[in-house]
Amino acid sequence: MALNKFTAVLALTAGLALAAGAALAHEGHEGAPPKSPGGKAAWARHDNFKAQGAAFKAINDELKKDAPDKALIASNALKIKASSTALPSWFPKGSGPESGVKTDAKAEVWSDAAGFAAAANKFQVEASKFQQLAAAGDIAAIKAQVRPVGGSCKGCHDKYRVPEKK
Amino acid sequence: MADGGAASGSAAVRARLWDAPVRLVHWGLVTLIGFSWWAAEYDHLEWHRWSGYGVMGLVVFRLIWGFAGSGNVRFASFVRGPAATFAYLRALPHRASGFTPGHNPLGAWSVLALLAVLVVQVVTGLFAVDVDAFEAGQLSDRVDFDTGRLIAGWHEWSFTALQVLVVLHLTAVAFYLVYKRDNLIGPMVTGWKKVAKDPGLVFAPLWRAAVATLVAVGFAWWVSKGFRM
Repeated sequence: MALNKFTAVLALTAGLALAAGAALAHEGHEGAPPKSPGGKAAWARHDNFKAQGAAFKAINDELKKDAPDKALIASNALKIKASSTALPSWFPKGSGPESGVKTDAKAEVWSDAAGFAAAANKFQVEASKFQQLAAAGDIAAIKAQVRPVGGSCKGCHDKYRVPEKK
Repeated sequence: MADGGAASGSAAVRARLWDAPVRLVHWGLVTLIGFSWWAAEYDHLEWHRWSGYGVMGLVVFRLIWGFAGSGNVRFASFVRGPAATFAYLRALPHRASGFTPGHNPLGAWSVLALLAVLVVQVVTGLFAVDVDAFEAGQLSDRVDFDTGRLIAGWHEWSFTALQVLVVLHLTAVAFYLVYKRDNLIGPMVTGWKKVAKDPGLVFAPLWRAAVATLVAVGFAWWVSKGFRM
């Protein structure tokens, strides 16, 4: 009897925690699609970043395997390089917090435009190197370049993205 | 160091209360939960992952020990129904400490809640993915980016739940210490407590702890390898 209760409590607590998490998570878009150009740009940016994250994750997942699929890594590295080039255009004026759309882009993206451009450029350089290594197919070299790429994401996020709740 | 008087100050004998494995699990969790928090806050995610495997091992051990451990740490012996819990709650305002040779009926729920949240914490951590898709749990290749991000949110929320439970736990320990003049901390360190009468607890043999340790460490190691051997 005590055991059944134990299992029930375990399941109940886990269920509650998951339900609370699901209710409060906000990975997709919130509310109705925006009509303003700034709002639309903020939404598109969100989707672009998610696609970029998915591409990077696909590579990192592949690198965990004993025999990584080099073609899959190369195609995703190409995606990341392309999106690193496009990235500055995802931040038109008016697509920040003032757009009325929920965005994690800080006002500093625009108020410190030179700093933001430098951070974006750092990402482009690392992503470009990454793409070349991925095309060459040397797994050890690709693995070594993961950290600089991730670091250039983080470097920009730390300064220009609203920190996640801590 | 005073072990604290138990029932009405007639503490006559020193009795063995907690076995070594339970005490090691307790202080191990205190250390690793604190360390995991620090490592996450300061971006040492590699250490955070290793610390998480440590927590996993300790929790797995405690779950095994809840079925195969010493008498007073087995779930079947200390998890009580609502009647016993409410009876204990009603007696709580009495300053005299009603000594239980193990977890009291109310504390039992705290133990279960803490273990349950730790299970959620460890499992969500294994699948969580950070915003850069750079840091991730060992099993995150089983889920896509969006799901990994969603689970990372759960990992945060279950940590908040854990913090609440820890504060509750510390408050309860302080309440016993100050209001009931019953030191619960000493016995959790030494394993011994001064009581009126030795409850004559039965303790599990060392070999059983060794087997449970082997299983727990093996399991955590296997998970840390992403089930790839």
